[in-house]
Amino acid sequence: MSNLVQFWEYTGFANCNFQYLLMICIGLIFIYLAIKKDWEPMLLVPIGFGIIIGNIPLFPGLSVGVYEEGSVLNILYQGVRQGWYPPLIFLGIGAMTDFSALISNPKLLLIGAAAQFGIFGAYAIALLLGFTPAEAGAIGIIGGADGPTAIFLSSRLAPDLMGAIAVSAYSYMALVPVIQPPIMRLLTTEKERLIRMKTPRAVSPTEKKIFPIVGFLLTAFIVPSGIPLLGMLFFGNLIKESGVTRRLAETARGPLIDVITILIGITVGCSTQADKFLQWSSIKIFILGFLSFVIATTAGVAFVKFFNLFLKEGNKINPLIGNAGVSAVPDAARISNNVGLEYDRTNYLLMHAMGPNVAGVIGSAVAAGILLGFLA
Amino acid sequence: MKHIKSLLIAGLILMGLNVSAQNQTDMRLNEYLVENTNDFQDDFGQQNAWFELFNTSYGTVNIGGCYLSNDINNLQKYIIPKGDVLTAIKPRQHVLFWADEQPFRGTFHVNFTLAESDTIYFVSSDGRTIIDRIAVRKDIEPNVSVGRSQDGVGSNDGKGEGWQIMPNTSPSTNNAGVDAKSKSSIMAEQDPYGVLIAITAMSVVFLALIILYFVFKFTGRLAIRNQQTRSDIATEGKIETVKAEENTGEAIAAISTALYLYAVDNEAHDEESFQITMRHTDRSYSPWSSKIYTLRQAPQVKKN
Repeated sequence: MSNLVQFWEYTGFANCNFQYLLMICIGLIFIYLAIKKDWEPMLLVPIGFGIIIGNIPLFPGLSVGVYEEGSVLNILYQGVRQGWYPPLIFLGIGAMTDFSALISNPKLLLIGAAAQFGIFGAYAIALLLGFTPAEAGAIGIIGGADGPTAIFLSSRLAPDLMGAIAVSAYSYMALVPVIQPPIMRLLTTEKERLIRMKTPRAVSPTEKKIFPIVGFLLTAFIVPSGIPLLGMLFFGNLIKESGVTRRLAETARGPLIDVITILIGITVGCSTQADKFLQWSSIKIFILGFLSFVIATTAGVAFVKFFNLFLKEGNKINPLIGNAGVSAVPDAARISNNVGLEYDRTNYLLMHAMGPNVAGVIGSAVAAGILLGFLA
Repeated sequence: MKHIKSLLIAGLILMGLNVSAQNQTDMRLNEYLVENTNDFQDDFGQQNAWFELFNTSYGTVNIGGCYLSNDINNLQKYIIPKGDVLTAIKPRQHVLFWADEQPFRGTFHVNFTLAESDTIYFVSSDGRTIIDRIAVRKDIEPNVSVGRSQDGVGSNDGKGEGWQIMPNTSPSTNNAGVDAKSKSSIMAEQDPYGVLIAITAMSVVFLALIILYFVFKFTGRLAIRNQQTRSDIATEGKIETVKAEENTGEAIAAISTALYLYAVDNEAHDEESFQITMRHTDRSYSPWSSKIYTLRQAPQVKKN
């Protein structure tokens, strides 16, 4: 009988409380949104299931929990904790990104820069809410709409908040189709939404090869602290464009990024153990994450409108691509395209929006490097 | 050419080895106290002269096998024992040595005193290269130490540049250097509302991307000019100006789709690699894989 009692005490039922059940429900909602609504399934399915794994009530000391040193989950979690998964994700992103849209129309780079206001706007508000500068920097980076960058920076600046920051970043990335369109419609006029942009010129293979090398050298010399992300991003792009390392590029943008996405998703999910995650600060982080996305989208669209004041007729930019300055690739660009098509069924903005979208990836990596330099 | 390549690679590897071996050069003498009557005590409850080393690098440095001395003619006076895990000094951390002339008390007790020393030498594991030295001041009051005003910053030639009489002794801890406060807390004092960092950081982001903009605007122009030149050569000087019809988005989309489908169907590439890939055939038998044709004919043994 005493054995049965002891066994019962080991079970999850005996150790369960309301907080764990709440987190399991959140995990189930993530999985539901991914499967039913098709919102970022590649991220939400692993994170959602990870949340469930991480919130099975455990008898402590079994060396199975994500925070228990030496456990399998803890070992896998080191890629997040030490920040080496994000650069590998960036390698894959580089290997799958075509920078042609940006090279053919380099002024779109500036939209990618403007959207980074979201990061620093959220940083300032986070300071007002009582977070330390390091924590505020880690929270602000959610506005870059870049999950790997958010994980990379928070692992360095505020490891205790990393779970909430990562889940917030990925959740809002999935919610980009919900958050951005109303802001885009609110800030643009009917006439602006109908602007047709020039067809991008064809970019030569030589230009594509030069871009990652020059791009890396310039950005890394300005922000050396961004080397892990920028280096991997541009290296990935070089192996794609070099034409002689096809196998490496295919591995980086295929199996490698898939493996890392699985590991990062599941371990970030696991890290949201109820006792560490369900805190007042997590709620504040979610609010700040939302605000940072709003500010980033607003800044991107407003910047294009401002920029258009200086551009000649015929060279003007459709402000609907301003939202794409956040680096949620390619979702933000897809939203520019979809909203544009709502007003003109023949005005395809996808290729144009990919310019600021990939510029946003570079911009958020640069911003992360700056925050790291200032605050780490 | 192959030899040159091999030599180049070997040279680079050797350079790499050389760099890793020189991590010890990141160590600095950081603080010392000559007369200790009422200051820090060692593990034996004794108050003796001490000096501190500081790892200026952001990597762990193992000082096992290095030497400490107070005699220029005998740089190998005290060898820091190898194999002691405590001699691996973590990034930006300190290690304290007791100058009590009692080396049998452990790794961190050297065989000389500071009262009898004019200079302290920290010597590389080769026993010859002096990594750092500092002239010992004897005109200091008891229990007052001399140290670098910022950890690891200043000269290593023994002239004492960057050194000062310390307001408080700080054995095994920061000398009120840059690491004393975290960047985050400094930022909280200097920029409580985040305005300065926002302006600075956004300026840097814009600067980085504006530079990229100018570079690629320039390379784009070059590429267009280059393309134009090639086109001119192709037409052998007979340049015909063809007025392109206004392309609509639908036409471009249709052309792109057609080209894409063509490329997918034919497994065409953006750029041909001019390589032939020979794939393994699924057929179980082929003259190419037949052993009958590839093996040498078996010797025939004639039996009479």
